[in-house]
Amino acid sequence: MHEAGIAQSILDIAVNTAKNNSAGRITLVAVRIGKMSAVDEASLRFAFDALKAGTIAENAAFDYTEVPLRGKCLDCGAEKEFEGYFMNCPGCGSSKVSLISGSELEVSHIEVE
Amino acid sequence: MDKISINQKILSKNDMDAANLRERFARNGTFAVNIMSSPGSGKTSLLEKTLGRLAEKYRVAVIEGDLQTDNDKERIEKAGVKACQIQTGGACHLEAAEIEKRLPLIDGDSLDLLIIENVGNLVCPSEYDLGQDVNMVLLSVTEGEDKPLKYPTMFFVSDVFVLNKTDLLPYVDFDADKAEENARSIKPGMEHFRISCRTGEGLDEICAWFEKKILSKKKCS
Repeated sequence: MHEAGIAQSILDIAVNTAKNNSAGRITLVAVRIGKMSAVDEASLRFAFDALKAGTIAENAAFDYTEVPLRGKCLDCGAEKEFEGYFMNCPGCGSSKVSLISGSELEVSHIEVE
Repeated sequence: MDKISINQKILSKNDMDAANLRERFARNGTFAVNIMSSPGSGKTSLLEKTLGRLAEKYRVAVIEGDLQTDNDKERIEKAGVKACQIQTGGACHLEAAEIEKRLPLIDGDSLDLLIIENVGNLVCPSEYDLGQDVNMVLLSVTEGEDKPLKYPTMFFVSDVFVLNKTDLLPYVDFDADKAEENARSIKPGMEHFRISCRTGEGLDEICAWFEKKILSKKKCS
């Protein structure tokens, strides 16, 4: 539901970075989105495509990488990938699992001409 | 073609507005709570029953969110607490910019406790940061103990779980222990309270919790 706001922020970061590097055109914008970040990929692509029109990113491709959810058990130290919110340690059963990755929301890089 | 590394965190406009609010609350020593639940779980009742007491010692105000009507604002004011109402029209959640706009109406820069009562909804409000210190989620015993499992995002973002209408427990098939276990399976370490706004059960404990949080926020400001 909030993908349009996020797409606008992505576009702003990309365009500002390109301008600061005296680039004329952006050909690719790459983002890393954590599985837990509640972002819908299709909605984000749709919003990005709508917003890029008329900017120097008009013809930019959108590279979306989903970052898996990983946690570390605070009791036994095991690290593992998890599917959803139920992060019980599969080794020792502890529910004290802290998030290592999966909540990212970042622009990793752009390609420019 | 050149590749430029960025690795910058994306903040949506709401995140930026919320970050500004959080900074403002920190500067003012205001403890801010965002209360969320389904419609009818008892958010406004909880505030009616507790804030009057807290307002005798602390500067307290409420921002109410609903699709329509000023009913909740009026209920809070009857309890002797300053309130203002946001009518969202059709929107299912509150956003940080709307909170910022309403602060002048309730002396928002000189408060000890600000309560934001979100629109009744267990889904959308969980995705919008309002600059709060604590997210509180309410569930009433008529709703079913599996709600934390069905709406995990809401429980994952919440810090405090309040089970309301416990006076009805003898009449409904609701396993309170199971509900709390479900909530903790989503969010280990979550604080929890059992209350009845009707009989007053658990309200002293909630008031004491508010007071403790208000005082520790003041120390940090």
